[in-house]
Amino acid sequence: MSTVSLPTFGRGGIHPDPHKQATSGKPIESLPPPHEVWLPLHQHLGEPATPIVKKGDLVARGQKLADGGPTGVPLHATISGKVKPIDKRPHPTDVLAPAIVIARAADAPPELEFPEDPAWLELSRDEMIARVREAGIVGLGGAAFPTWRKLMLPPQVKVDTLIVNGAECEPYLTADFRTMIAHPREIVDGALLMARIVGAERVVIGIEADKLEAKWWLDQAIGTAAIGGIPIGVQPVQVRYPQGAERQLVHALTGRILPARGLPTAVGVLVQNVATAMAVSDAVRFRRPLLDRVMTVTGPGVAEPRNVRVPLGTPLGEVVAFCGGASPEVTRIIAGGPMMGRALPRLDLPVIKGMNGLVLLTGRGPLEDGYGACIHCGRCIEACPLGLEPDQVSVHVEAGRTLDTEPYGSLDCFECGSCSYVCPAGRPLVQFMQVAKSALRRQAALRSAS
Amino acid sequence: MSAGPQELVLTPGPHLHAEVSTARIMWTVNAALAPAALWGAWVFGANALAVILGAVAGAAAAEWLAARWMGRPQTLRDGSAVCTGLLLAMTLPPLVPWWSAALGSVFAILVVKALFGGLGYNLFNPALAGRAFMMATFPLAMSTGWATPRAGFAAALDGLTTPTPLAVLKEQGLEAAFRTLTAPGSPWASLALGFRPGSIGEVSVVLLALGAAVLVARGIIRLTIPLAVLAGTVLSTAFTGAPLLHLLSGGLWLGAFFMATDYVTAPTTRNGQLVFGLVIGLLTGMIRVFGGYPEGICYAILIANTLTPALNLWFRPKRLALVGTPS
Repeated sequence: MSTVSLPTFGRGGIHPDPHKQATSGKPIESLPPPHEVWLPLHQHLGEPATPIVKKGDLVARGQKLADGGPTGVPLHATISGKVKPIDKRPHPTDVLAPAIVIARAADAPPELEFPEDPAWLELSRDEMIARVREAGIVGLGGAAFPTWRKLMLPPQVKVDTLIVNGAECEPYLTADFRTMIAHPREIVDGALLMARIVGAERVVIGIEADKLEAKWWLDQAIGTAAIGGIPIGVQPVQVRYPQGAERQLVHALTGRILPARGLPTAVGVLVQNVATAMAVSDAVRFRRPLLDRVMTVTGPGVAEPRNVRVPLGTPLGEVVAFCGGASPEVTRIIAGGPMMGRALPRLDLPVIKGMNGLVLLTGRGPLEDGYGACIHCGRCIEACPLGLEPDQVSVHVEAGRTLDTEPYGSLDCFECGSCSYVCPAGRPLVQFMQVAKSALRRQAALRSAS
Repeated sequence: MSAGPQELVLTPGPHLHAEVSTARIMWTVNAALAPAALWGAWVFGANALAVILGAVAGAAAAEWLAARWMGRPQTLRDGSAVCTGLLLAMTLPPLVPWWSAALGSVFAILVVKALFGGLGYNLFNPALAGRAFMMATFPLAMSTGWATPRAGFAAALDGLTTPTPLAVLKEQGLEAAFRTLTAPGSPWASLALGFRPGSIGEVSVVLLALGAAVLVARGIIRLTIPLAVLAGTVLSTAFTGAPLLHLLSGGLWLGAFFMATDYVTAPTTRNGQLVFGLVIGLLTGMIRVFGGYPEGICYAILIANTLTPALNLWFRPKRLALVGTPS
């Protein structure tokens, strides 16, 4: 089927091999409860959570372990067991960070039950936000920004459209796709609840055109949705990276263009990931906290690629073992998708809230053989979805003129990696952008301080 | 689980890369040039082949030595120096001494490329700058070293040379120019197929177009610059009554598709490329008609190269975000 006539974003973008066939046909499987979970206090944007349990406490799955404070989110026990000493543990992004460790214990209480609240459809806006907050929900598309903060719009901000992001444009990942097939009802409910919270007049679920099976399931759920009065529909968009980035999805679905470095709310749109919508439904309807997440474990380096529902805090080694183990040829382990994800140094790291995939790659990758000089071919300019000039930024940084890069867009880059992907010289263009961005920000901070 | 910490690679993302590299691009260009170059060797004889080999060897040697002397990583394998040598040879008359071609290549690589910083930093197209250097240093060979197509080895030894159609056009007019087209049948077929006096690699428009088609299909060049060059040439020669002769002769196709499209010395955005190509085409026609040389593409491209930094500043990509207050 030709997808060229479908909506998409305005310029640039790339078409990497999707590599999704290994897991796109596989339903979500649940990982058996691990022996131990490591729950970092800081796995979201905002301040770290503050523990309210201590060493030796017996806790039940679902029980709150740490308070979120004014800007963060609380943390919950994802298995029943005994609290071990709260200490620094390896963290997927920090080197070491404080974490609550729970070890399975025979005398631990059973999992808490979360019965449906019969009044869930009559809750006020503030009550719903409080439940989302108490459930520890953060953006599950990878950004891990506390969802309750995103839903608490400042009074001057008006949102007319809620976009649910099911684009999943990162190669290899199918967790959102399988979540849409397995839990369309929850996603639709959660989306409509969030639309109520922010006062949106319509909801659009955006999916890339290679996920039409998900559209069928979502359409069924929309037909029987418990919440009426808000139009909601599924809109396929072109398969084109980075279609799932907020700015690009908003453009495709509404035609609106965000201001440079602006948020979607600047054009009256709020974007939430499909897994986040599902978690919101669970939180509002059942007061169920965020305990598990669905992630795709895939890549040429894993024996049995799968979509797995994993208790947060599970050591990645156990997740990989559940998927048949890693092959000896593995050279890179990526948390998230291979375009914007992060290479991990090891597998004794916990699953955190924002981790939507684990991609085990083999063979040599970009940058391993160094990189060459810019030949000014212009491919990066063509690929940039914002119309920035990564070539100019990179040669300016190399020439020591980092602070002269702003006219070429270094501050606006959101690091999708399309430029690096197409660079024939294999130049780390995203990293040149990062260097330029941080230098410019430092300079601005020094200026405002003096 | 055998992937221990010491085995894992921790490069920053993205962790995937398109199937493209500088070396692959350069060697594809070399391959796309090869048919037209070999055609030149076939129609003009052994000296043409010696010129090609001399120029390529000179460029490769200069690239290797420059990297050694300047303490830079060896870049010979990326194919760009071979490309420069090959392109230079293809712009040369078939009867120049092979060692003069090698010298031209050494100038192109050592002075025009390496001294400006190596691959990616040169301001001028190295092959064309090498040709300009040879025009100044070997003026006689460069202006009289033309051979009759398929004249045979003996003719070349006798020094029997033939002026090019453009030279005849300049000196004696249109009808005389057509008499230089020697193949049986239509003179236009002579021009298209490459049965005419000219530089080694410029004569076969058909083979050059074939090579260019490969580059377009592979996404290595796009047609903006070449079509603008051709259009500019036709525009600036239309009043002479012979735009089609201008279009099909000289080094126009070689220059438009393989030299004006050199990434390093051409603008990066489409609008910049359009202006760049038109400037080259207009200058080519003006040099041919009003200038001191029968052919103008070489200097037209070199002059336009000086505009590239300015064109990159004037024609920026369109930003897809309103520049507003950051929130």
